[in-house]
Amino acid sequence: MKRFILLLTISCFLFTANAQKYITKNGFIGFFGHTPMEDIKADNNQVASVLDISTGDIVFQVLVKSFHFDRALMEEHFNENYMESDKIPKSTFKGKIINLSSVDFKKNGTYEVIVDGDLTLHDVTNKISAKGTMEVLTDGINANSKFNIVPEDYKINIPGVVREKIAKSLEITVSMKYAPLPSK
Amino acid sequence: MKPYIKIALFVVFLIALGGILAALYLYNLKPEDLQKAKPHFTITAADFQKAFEDNEKTASERYINKIIEVSGEIASVRTGEKNSMNVSLKTGSELSSVICTFHSVSDTTNIKPGNQIILRGVCSGFLMDVLLNNCAVIKISK
Repeated sequence: MKRFILLLTISCFLFTANAQKYITKNGFIGFFGHTPMEDIKADNNQVASVLDISTGDIVFQVLVKSFHFDRALMEEHFNENYMESDKIPKSTFKGKIINLSSVDFKKNGTYEVIVDGDLTLHDVTNKISAKGTMEVLTDGINANSKFNIVPEDYKINIPGVVREKIAKSLEITVSMKYAPLPSK
Repeated sequence: MKPYIKIALFVVFLIALGGILAALYLYNLKPEDLQKAKPHFTITAADFQKAFEDNEKTASERYINKIIEVSGEIASVRTGEKNSMNVSLKTGSELSSVICTFHSVSDTTNIKPGNQIILRGVCSGFLMDVLLNNCAVIKISK
């Protein structure tokens, strides 16, 4: 009997532990800013992210140098003048789904979520809150979100001459396709 | 107007025109086509990943922002947003690979898991994997 209970506990634990964490290393984050003179747009297809569905914890990590622009000079200015990516190579977000109970991870479907957390860009951390969706699939979870940030909040200094060329606020698009983390 | 003033004005005009053309050229410059670029380093995917795993700081100083020609076996292929494609290369590690992002690929027929590939990319650094950007296929074989 003792043994049976032990086995039952272990199997329960294994069963739940199996599908708790989801991961992607090929996530997408893009940003877009519009001004009368030009659009500023960059894509990053190398976002690493882990989602823990038991706690709602969600973490994103990107290398600033992985943002790709259509114009080489814009990419150079982004890295050298604004983000100082040689000195500060990474940007991170650590947050939590605050309405975790409204997502049924056992039932396929699309759920609205709100994520609160700390966004660290350019070595400056700010609290942000973003709305998004989680699409529960049989073999994974897709997560999508769109929100805005203001470069000045992150001490990204934009010189006066080009200030008008760069949008006051940038729209961030997040698109992740998570797969269950293989358990060893 | 005296002839030398005319000449001076003409020279000023030429300089201004040259400046505008140079600025336009720089502004519209596309990311470098690595198919035609000379690589700074040629290395296997396994050695490349190991260099970062052994000592991220030294490897970062050596490889980041450099054009790397990497060879290896394709572990997985994922298509991303806006025609982009990520190709992961096998390394000595189970958990960490070399992820190479292509922004446009004209011929994807042989880009499949199991095939051998030689590609060039610019190294962005290391997260869980070594990341290469702006990649171009150099050679692919079954």
